[in-house]
Amino acid sequence: MKNIKLIIVAAVFFLISAACWLTPDKEFSQSERRPLAQKPEINIQNLLSGQLESDAEKYTADQFPLREQLRSLKALTEYGLFMKKDNNDIYIQDSHAAKILYPYSEKSVSNATSIFGEIYESFIQDTDSAGNGRIFVSVIPDKGYYLAEEKGCPHIDYDKLFAQVIEEMDYARYIDLTGTLEADSYYRTDLHWRQEKILPAAEALGRAMGLELAGLDDLRQITATDSFAGVYKGQSGLPLKAEPLIYLTDDMIEGCKTFNYETNQEGKVYDLEKLSGRDPYDVFVSGASALITIENPEAAKKTDRELIIFRDSFGSSLAPLLLSDYAKITLVDLRYIKPSYLNQFIDFEGQDILFIYGTTLLNDSYTIKR
Amino acid sequence: MIFSSIPFLYYFLPAVILLYFIVPKKMANSVLLLASLFFYGYGEPKMLPVMIMTIIAAWSLGLAIPKHKNCFYLSAAICLGLLVWFKGGFAGNALPAGISFYTFQILSYTIDLRREHIKPQKSLRDFAMYVSLFPQLIAGPIVVYSTVEDSLDPLKRKTTAEDLYEGSCRFVFGLAKKVLLANNLGQFVSIFQNTAADDRSVVFYWAYALAFSMQIYFDFSGYSDMAIGLGRIFGFSFPENFNYPFISKSITEFWRRWHMTLGGWFREYVYIPLGGNRVSRGRWIFNIFVVWALTGLWHGVQWTFLTWGLYFGILLMAEKLWLGRLLDKLPTWAQHLYTVILVVFSMVLFNADTIGDAAACIGAMLGLAGLGTGTGIPFAGALGSYYIKSFGTLFVVSIVASTPICRKLSQFKYANELKPVLVIVLLLLVTAYLVDGSYNPFLYFRF
Repeated sequence: MKNIKLIIVAAVFFLISAACWLTPDKEFSQSERRPLAQKPEINIQNLLSGQLESDAEKYTADQFPLREQLRSLKALTEYGLFMKKDNNDIYIQDSHAAKILYPYSEKSVSNATSIFGEIYESFIQDTDSAGNGRIFVSVIPDKGYYLAEEKGCPHIDYDKLFAQVIEEMDYARYIDLTGTLEADSYYRTDLHWRQEKILPAAEALGRAMGLELAGLDDLRQITATDSFAGVYKGQSGLPLKAEPLIYLTDDMIEGCKTFNYETNQEGKVYDLEKLSGRDPYDVFVSGASALITIENPEAAKKTDRELIIFRDSFGSSLAPLLLSDYAKITLVDLRYIKPSYLNQFIDFEGQDILFIYGTTLLNDSYTIKR
Repeated sequence: MIFSSIPFLYYFLPAVILLYFIVPKKMANSVLLLASLFFYGYGEPKMLPVMIMTIIAAWSLGLAIPKHKNCFYLSAAICLGLLVWFKGGFAGNALPAGISFYTFQILSYTIDLRREHIKPQKSLRDFAMYVSLFPQLIAGPIVVYSTVEDSLDPLKRKTTAEDLYEGSCRFVFGLAKKVLLANNLGQFVSIFQNTAADDRSVVFYWAYALAFSMQIYFDFSGYSDMAIGLGRIFGFSFPENFNYPFISKSITEFWRRWHMTLGGWFREYVYIPLGGNRVSRGRWIFNIFVVWALTGLWHGVQWTFLTWGLYFGILLMAEKLWLGRLLDKLPTWAQHLYTVILVVFSMVLFNADTIGDAAACIGAMLGLAGLGTGTGIPFAGALGSYYIKSFGTLFVVSIVASTPICRKLSQFKYANELKPVLVIVLLLLVTAYLVDGSYNPFLYFRF
């Protein structure tokens, strides 16, 4: 009997070990939206510095057979057995997966606003944008703004963050979006907002910026996919239900042309090829990229007004909703381009300027290039 | 390399086990030695020469000790010199992992040679294997040479099917203690440490202190379980290191149940040679203080560790002189409470960077934070409540697991039949946590 038990335990152990050796490596984790660690380079320098050990740890964990299922097992154990309120900082409230945003980092917010301030002083201060008061700033609250209190979990002091942005960016008009959104304005499995649910936010921006936003209510809803699994599904490891990803369009938006300065490629506002890519949310203006312009020939017939949006990934789904009032919108993602390079690509000559960032990025802003 | 890592668990360990049982018996020690050197060199490549040189010096001087007793002093000076050099920070931040453990093992060998309790080990390979044996190299238990002397001969060492099975089970139980309990409790400790002082409360401080006390217990005893289990797989019988210390009714009892091999080592090689308690009261008090100061300093040459050791020295002495009699008159629950509270305070000190930090933390636990300045902390707060609720079940599981209830459960009728199922489930859960988790070295690696 003892021998049988030994054989069973040993068989499981050696089977898992064999699977580790034999399972082919993968390059990317779709659910977590990140590249997986690859085989570490074995050399004396790496060994002596301890790099080899930590790289091997990451590599073997990332390439473990049935990794996704094991991560789900861990998440279910955390929630089910240990009854934890969150796993990897992700909690579930009202069927939404949301990430704990805590503690508040005043320093990080200052880091972001000081970069914006430098951009303002270098390129915008002496233009008509400043002269005509056409500089705006807005902060997109993360889901936690609507869910954390109810869950009883820690969260940053949002009012303090908003007040800090207003104070440190006194050259811009602040536009409050908190009243235009709710938890359901966001994907249940992802951090981003849903384009079809942010019309009130777009209208609030439009009102403050003096835009007409003609045709906003008549946009067609197109379901790009029914099986969108957001980044929180991957990070939490929970078997959350996939959801539809919808975009809004009309003939004007369909007629717009984009140009991506990183890839030097023209494209459309909605890049449907991205649906099968690493992050389906990239369907909106091809996702995160240093510099993208959207030219709107239809609007150009009536106006030469332009808009520059300094943004994070939330801006991708917002920009199409503001297109009706602009001949051209330029999207700048400062995580991928240094501010000092901006005037090589953009003539700052009186465009409307909108700084719009999510609280998550502002509270950890060190990915923004200085 | 650490036990609770995928490279060890699913790459290194199966390869070593297979190799160990495939090669002819007389080569078994060579396999274990090479595996141990790889194990150590992989994680501590720069410190591998330090260990190898220490081994060679201790072995060659050990051969000479029976004829030239003075070689003992040279050997001890080399071992202790290196220990003080590294632990005292004379080499900067460099600290060879497990140096306190392997140095004490070598010292036990050297001292016992001088006492003529043992004969010198003639084989450098076998001696090196004894010192560097990977199952207990990094964090004990401290295995005194005389207890494994016979097992060092590969032809005398045997592993039965029962050893393999029970050793594997013990290893997995230890692994589960470390990964499922200690690492999770460590998460709570980190959350507390990363929380702004304004957001802390008295209750949160207590929860932190309890969580850390349990973390270090499961971390260290989990490692000991793994070491004992692995030892058994390879035919060694390592001594127990923990015996449910949190059920103790006094500090004296606590130290009979906590890190037993360290306590045993100091008793055998320091306390008794100093005269133990068969001396005048003054000398006995001196002996106690020497032993406990050294016990503290063994963990690191820092004021916090020295104070920690002396704290226990004072408590043990008080219990022997008068407190013990008083404790005996108290109800059992009060004896447990007394022990747990004093142990928890000691762990706060153990984990603090400075004595001032420890005093501030204990002060906050007693509601004395900001006393006189009007900047006190609340009894309870939203943040602490959230995390205490979130980790509540883990706390309950940990408290239950730190008592002999699990051992009693193993005596139920179908417990033996269910044991392999439990082992496999725990192995899968541990693997799931390792796959999803980050790097979590053992706390006792720094000693």
